[in-house]
Amino acid sequence: MTRKVLLAMMSLLLIGLFGWVWLERVALRAFPDIISAYTAKQYCSCRYVMLQPADYCRGYVKQSVPISDFLETVEAKRITVNGLGRSHSARWMGARQGCRLEP
Amino acid sequence: MSKGWLLFTLLLLTLTARAEDWPGEQWPTGQAPSGPSIEALEQYAFAPRDDATRQGIRTDALLVIQDGRLVYERYAGPTDAQIPHLTWSISKSLLATVFGVAYGEKRFALDDPAAQYYPPLKRHPDMTLADLFHWASGLDWQEDYEYAPLNSSVVAMLYTRGRHDMAAFTAGHDSFSPPGQVFRYSSGDTNLLAAALKNIVGPAQYADYPWTALFEPLGIRHATWETDASGTFVGSSYAYLTARDLARVGLLMQRDGRWGDRQLIPKDWVAFNREPFARFQAGQDEAVPGGHWWLNRGADPTIRPWPDAPPDTFAALGHWGQALYVIPSARLVIVRYGDDRDGSYRHDELLKRAMAAFPGTVQP
Repeated sequence: MTRKVLLAMMSLLLIGLFGWVWLERVALRAFPDIISAYTAKQYCSCRYVMLQPADYCRGYVKQSVPISDFLETVEAKRITVNGLGRSHSARWMGARQGCRLEP
Repeated sequence: MSKGWLLFTLLLLTLTARAEDWPGEQWPTGQAPSGPSIEALEQYAFAPRDDATRQGIRTDALLVIQDGRLVYERYAGPTDAQIPHLTWSISKSLLATVFGVAYGEKRFALDDPAAQYYPPLKRHPDMTLADLFHWASGLDWQEDYEYAPLNSSVVAMLYTRGRHDMAAFTAGHDSFSPPGQVFRYSSGDTNLLAAALKNIVGPAQYADYPWTALFEPLGIRHATWETDASGTFVGSSYAYLTARDLARVGLLMQRDGRWGDRQLIPKDWVAFNREPFARFQAGQDEAVPGGHWWLNRGADPTIRPWPDAPPDTFAALGHWGQALYVIPSARLVIVRYGDDRDGSYRHDELLKRAMAAFPGTVQP
């Protein structure tokens, strides 16, 4: 009896979970991109618009979600960051335009 | 007798004109006050800075202009007088001030439909530019930063699904209310304005417009305003100015849109910025929305977000503690840049201590 109740509850929870994943599919698909895109863009602006040292900027953009890879090409003023399996780059475009994420 | 009065009035006018200070390449400086009230201000703004945990109040810059003169300036952390600091949502009020110049050039009216200048909004034909300035588009926007990243419209706009074209991403949201009825703070509303400005001033002028219209006339030499991939200014978030340069915008606003002897922005535009949005209800935000500036008074006279500051105080405010406060009755402009990560900073507390330190007496 209790097993049946438990099974029914588990099924309901699973259905609920799948339903939620379906409803939020667009947001969930984009979610892992946030950390690498945020880090690349804000680090680029910290370094090349606000003209701060690299060490400071690494701390400035640090979030609780870790990143796995970080590559700064100083000559090109370009930063590529990997995190949660996604990769994004930001580049400095000019004194007025500052930094922008690359497509 | 009447001649005497005339002469007296003329003399008074001359004296007043001479007494008005404006920045040239540099700010004129005034006598910095000292004593316990300044110490109390600094104890609050410049509490020992914790860079390891990033907790507590972490002021990067505090600058005070009184009567058009620089009377106080202090920096901490990595910022100094030459560093253009990220203003975050102060950008929104800067965009509104850029719009003020276009308003003076009679390029648009506040009750024009937003879709007239930004066609992707034609699904919302009743939405006016004024509704967007009031953050009352009625679009179902979620303005959360790092605490609810999954459903945050603003995070998606800046970093993922919306980053190529932030206005188009915003225009794709459904409505939760007819436009103009309900206040809901939205970075998307601001970026719709930023996109509309492209057609208001014309695509050829757009890329330089914030500089030609506002920054250059004010003597601001180093401003950055980042765009999305479609070339639209990220009006919601990404303007960078030094503290000294942001204070120039503050002085322009304190003096009702006048810069020296030039009325750069019409007085009635500044009046719109400072008019509380009538549909705002107490508790919907930390201050009262006007026309894309924040106010210390509501249409409902019981609303007073910063009780220790004069009711005519208004401000441009941004994430992590960025603030430009303008207090015309005390002839004060205060710039406060910060890197507050925990929300412990209180506008009212800073304003209270600043009012005590700079009580607004006319200096001889």
